[in-house]
Formats: sequence, C-alpha cells, structure tokens
Amino acid sequence: MNIIEIHGLTKDYALGETTVHALRGIDLTIAKGDLVCIMGPSGCGKTTLLNVIGGIDSATTGSVRIGGQELTTLPDREITDLRLHRLGFIFQTFNLIPVLTATENVEFPLLLQKEHSKSEIRARAEKLLEEVGLSEYRHHRPSELSGGQRQRIAIARALVTNPDIVLADEPTANLDSVTGASILEIMQTMNQRQQTTFLFSTHDKNVLKYARTVVHIKDGLIDGE
Amino acid sequence: MGLIFKIAWRNLWRHKNHSLVIGTILCLGALIMTVGNGVVEGMDRGLQKTIVHGFTGDLVLVSEKYESDNVFLEMMGKTVPPIDNFKAIRASLEKSSLVDQILPMGKNMAMVLNEDGGMPTFLYLLGVDFERYHRMFPDNVNVIEGRFPKPGRPWLMLPTGARKEINDMTNVWFIPEDASLDTSHLEAEAKKHPGDLSVKSNLVLMGFNEDNSSTDIRLNVAGVFKYRALNTIFHPFALMDIESYRQTLGYFMASEKKPGNVSARDSALFAEDGNLDNLFSGDSLIVGNKPASEAKVDWIPKEASQRSNIDMDDGAYNLVLVLLHSGVNAEKTKGALNKIFRDENLGIRAVDWKQALGPVGSMTTLIKSALFIFVSILFLVAVIIIVNTLSMAALERTPEIGMMRAIGARKGFIGLMFLAETAALSLAFGGLGIVLGAVVVELLSLLKLASENDMLQLFFGGDTFRPVLTTGDIGLAFLQLGFVTAAAVIYPLILARSITPLDAVYKE
Ligand SMILES: Nc1ncnc2c1ncn2[C@@H]1O[C@H](COP(=O)(O)OP(=O)(O)O)[C@@H](O)[C@H]1O
Ligand SMILES: [Mg+2]
Repeated sequence: MNIIEIHGLTKDYALGETTVHALRGIDLTIAKGDLVCIMGPSGCGKTTLLNVIGGIDSATTGSVRIGGQELTTLPDREITDLRLHRLGFIFQTFNLIPVLTATENVEFPLLLQKEHSKSEIRARAEKLLEEVGLSEYRHHRPSELSGGQRQRIAIARALVTNPDIVLADEPTANLDSVTGASILEIMQTMNQRQQTTFLFSTHDKNVLKYARTVVHIKDGLIDGE
Repeated sequence: MGLIFKIAWRNLWRHKNHSLVIGTILCLGALIMTVGNGVVEGMDRGLQKTIVHGFTGDLVLVSEKYESDNVFLEMMGKTVPPIDNFKAIRASLEKSSLVDQILPMGKNMAMVLNEDGGMPTFLYLLGVDFERYHRMFPDNVNVIEGRFPKPGRPWLMLPTGARKEINDMTNVWFIPEDASLDTSHLEAEAKKHPGDLSVKSNLVLMGFNEDNSSTDIRLNVAGVFKYRALNTIFHPFALMDIESYRQTLGYFMASEKKPGNVSARDSALFAEDGNLDNLFSGDSLIVGNKPASEAKVDWIPKEASQRSNIDMDDGAYNLVLVLLHSGVNAEKTKGALNKIFRDENLGIRAVDWKQALGPVGSMTTLIKSALFIFVSILFLVAVIIIVNTLSMAALERTPEIGMMRAIGARKGFIGLMFLAETAALSLAFGGLGIVLGAVVVELLSLLKLASENDMLQLFFGGDTFRPVLTTGDIGLAFLQLGFVTAAAVIYPLILARSITPLDAVYKE
C-alpha cells in the first residue's frame, strides 16, 4: 500500500522578474513502512519536495496524496491538523521550543492533540526519550543539550504521536559524521520497530546505506530510484 | 490551557528585557492614570463641598419667571426676579425631612456711583441676614480688614477682588469704616503713590428694578473679606444686609409691613432731594474721607433699634438656598421639590448648584475631559511603544513560532500564547501601577496640602488638596488597563498568527 502518491508535482517560485522552477513534474509513490532517502545536490529541490509533502508549502500544479487524502486542496486548518496527527517533522535546526524541557518538548504534540490523559502523555514521552537514549536528560532545556541530543529529542517528538510519516530535511547536515550516523541508526531502528514511514533528504552519499529506497533528484526532476 | 500559560510564563522570563520595557510602560501609565483619576475625583468632591457648603447649598430656588438655570454667574443684564412669598416657600420646605437648612437671599447687581465724578462701576450683591448666612456657611468669610457686621445694623462686606476691580476702574479704594488705610494690601503700583488714591469707607449703590425706578443708598463698608475658598470664583459678590439690599433694588421691605400697610416709600425716611442733613444721624453713617452730604442719597439705613421687631421674611428675596442633609440625593430631591412647588403653585423652581453656577458648575466636567484627553494621549504613546516592542518580539520568534505551527499548533494556539504573555505582563505591572497610584493618592491626601493660592484652590477644589479614589475609579483603571492591553496586542497578535511554518524553515 502506498502511503504517499505524487503525480505531476511542480513548484514555481517567483524571484523578482524571473520564475524559479524548483520542482518540474515529480511522480513518486512511497510504500508504507519504507525508509526513503531523497538524494541530490544543494538546490535540486529536496527541501521544496519535503515541504510540499508535509503541507508546509503549497504545490503549483499536480497532486499529493497522503494515505489517500489529497493535500493540495485542503484548507490551512485541516492541513495543520493533518500535520499534528499523521506527520512528524525533524528539521535541520531549531526543532525544539526553547522554554520547554526535553520531556515537555516531546509531550508537546500530544498536548496539542488533547486526546490523552496527562499521565499517559508523560509515560509515552518518557518511553520515547528512553528509546532515543536521553532519559537522563529529560529535565534539560534545549540550550543545555548538544546538537546530536537535540536531534534525538526531535526524533522522539516526531514519533510520539505514532505518525504515518516522518519527514526529515537534512537531519544530519549540522552534525559531525559520527553523531549523524547515530541519528540515522535511530531512525532505522524506529522504522523497523514501528513500521513508521521515514523520508529524509541528504546531499551526503555516505548516509545512503541507511535507506531502503533512494530517490535521486536533479534540477527539480526525479533522476532515478 | 496549562501548556499555554507555562510557555507564556517562561517566555516572559526568557525575554526579560522586552518584558521589562513593556512592564515599565504599563506600570507608569497605570500609575499616572490612577493618580490623575484620584486628583480629579478629589477636585470634583472638593469643589462640590466648597461650593455647596460655602456658596450655593445643594439646591437654589429661583422664580419661575427667571428662564436661565444659571442663577449666579449670568452675564450682565439679566435680573433675577423677586420672590415675594418666602414664608409660603419656607412652610413648604419645612415639611420635608430631607432639608437641613435654608437661606433666603437677595441676588442682583447694582451700580456703584463714582462720587469723584468718573464712570460708575458694578457690584454683584448678595442681600442676607448675616446671622443666618453665618449659620448656613460658617467660616466662609475671612475678614481681611475691618470686622464682621454688627447684628441689626446696615452693612456691606466687600470682597478684596471686588475692591480691586473697582479700584482699577475708578481709582477709589474702599476701606472699612473706623479703619485706616492698610497700604500692604494695595496693588504694587498704588503702593508707590498711596496719596493719589481716593480712599473711602462708604459707597453709594444704585439698583435697578423692573419699572426702571432707581434708588440710591449709601452704605458703610463694615469689612473687607476674602471667601475662605474659591475666592477667585466668588469675589465679585459683595454681601450686604437684606433690608438695605431690598431698598437698593426697590423691593418690598420687611419694614414696610405694618398695620394699615402704609408704604415705607411714603414715610419720612424718603426725603426729597437735598434734605439729607435731617436724616444723617448715628454712627452708621458717613465716616469716609468725604462728608456724605456731598452725595445725593435717597435713603439712609435704619438703626438697629428701629429694626428690632421686624420679621425679615416679610420682605422680598431673589433666591432661596437649600442645604440638604448629607447623603440625600440632590438630583432626586430637586425633582420632588419641583413637583411640590408646581402643585402648591409657589411660582418657583429648584436648580442644582452646578446649574446655578453656569460655566463654573461644569468646570469639573471640563477638567475631567482635559484629563481624559491627556490620558488618551498617554495611552496612545504607550500603545505605540508596546505594539512596537511586541511586534519585534513576534518577529524575533518567527523560527520558534513557525516550527510550532509546522508540528501542528493552530493559529489560535499561537494567538493565545501571545495573549497570555501580554495579559500576564499587563496584570502584573499595570496592577502594580494602579496599586502604587492608589498609595500615592492616599499619601497625597494624608499630607492635607493647603493653599491660599487662588489657582491652586481651583485645582484642589477648595483650600486643601484631598485627592480620593473610589472603588469605581479603581475598577475603571483596570478597565482602562485592559483596553490599553487589548489595543496594544491586536497588531502583534495578527503578526504572530500569520507566521507560517515556511517562514520558520527559511529563517534557518
Ligand atoms: N522561497 C523561495 N523563493 C525563491 N526561490 C526558492 C525558494 N525556496 C527555494 N527556492 C529555490 O528553489 C530551488 C530548490 O530549492 P530547495 O528545495 O531548497 O533545494 P535543496 O533543499 O535541494 O537545496 C533552489 O533553486 C532555490 O533557490
Ligand atoms: Mg534544502
């Protein structure tokens, strides 16, 4: 079963007088439970593609379906709720709310959902912190943690809601290779354990080995899988 | 909700500087506003107290024929018609348990003839029985020169301000009978050449009445005085004994009521011109630096002995001042009394003290409006600074807010978070400002600052400065604070709500 189905996706940006064609017609399907790496040089359109899939950016033309639901025609509020309930995000930087502790950051999406009891939320957050190996840092604020630790907390937060898909745009770009590798290993483990679909982008060929599927992008077009 | 407050609270501490800037502005604004309210409220009450208990009473009864409500301060020309049925009015008022005291008085204008041959001047006259006046308004008259009037004798008490105005116009300087010139009270210019002044201790008044007949009377100045408070407003009003007043205005005098109803106008007291010497007798007459016989005078006030068994209330008045028991609602009582007056056909109506003083009565409203404008400007400046600071705070936090939106926070959540922060600041600092303001008002009022300065007295609403805050004022202050906060938060709130996840991604 395909969790993501993309047909004829284009994205244009107006840049002064000219138009930048960031995506030129992407056709892509991703199976549920896959661990996909979007690979390509800087400026090829990786971030744009992930943003459109995540409902953070809008498509110019084409169709994007998440679990059968068409995203491009959804109003803002419903896209927000879709992000909250079915997607998880890991950004390159600035993933966490500065004034909240590690645990509170992980709890945050569950608190927004307002569907679980306080104790249930706390238990889930602590379990995920444990899985990413940061139990002892649960009372720390982001500023008291290293870049790698923050990314691991971001992973825990992205997974705490049991999303269908986790989108990670160059999650290791700001990390040294050893730390970056550990992050991808965690993602790999989580993918196997929970059957959560992962999509991450990178321009670093060394991390390809963590992916089950690799999608190459060049100049806004798919260059091969 | 708990989450929002937790984030808001921690953000306030995290962004201490901007919290402090906004907090200080809110605190100062609330402080100034509260103190301002207290001062104006104090002035309002002070003015009411000073005026009601020093000049007008709560209500003023005036003839129905008098069309304006402005009884005291109507510009030249409008005469207040006489009230001839005071006894009936008194009987009607005595039935009311709300009325504390009443004071009938004559109130009109007369000309002060210039015996040196120049232009005459004018004087507002309040004709009263001094004992009654004193009972209604104790301590209201500060004698500067001379003495209080002696009971039963004709008298005129001249306010310093009126004396100065007459002097400015005519070079005549009035001093009390039996007194010598006190040069220290002269104007700076006159002090240099006191010899040039025409110093007199009696004056000739010429009143007007409806049928344009006029009577000249000569009166000794018993004393020169200042009204204890708000002399600036009241100084044109000279006090004089009611019978002399009636005579001046050609009104029906109490002394005219005698068996057979022989009008006093026919009596020997009213000499044809010239024949004055017969009439001048006794010490109440002329002690001025010019013999009285030089002036043409129609009437010489009677001696105390001659007046002793006269009921003053038999004669005419112009006004009846009514002082109500404290706590009685003057506005309601006015309505009730007016109904009674109509029912009993008394030919009078009641106006309240604010109406009776015309423009001065609405002075507090004016000052309140001025304060309102001042506070509005203050608010505007405060709002602009806060809007600016909050907007910058919102933009600074774009990555954070955008990320929250990206992981599923709705616009409403961001808005509430922002609102909670600002509301907490506003309540804490603005509340502090209001509390401090209330303390300042309380301290100021404990100081019991007193002043003899006329302008300050206007501002104080009397001779002491007693700012006061009611619970209503404090409630209003919080309301105004809420309004400022709401006004200041709208734009930054819209800004914060409009931050998209994409903004966060590209701010990276
Ligand atoms: N907001 C934007 N406005 C204009 N051009 C943009 C914008 N976002 C991305 N682009 C352009 O679109 C292209 C793809 O960008 P991006 O998706 O960020 O590439 P990548 O993530 O692979 O480096 C680039 O040429 C970039 O300059
Ligand atoms: Mg990118």
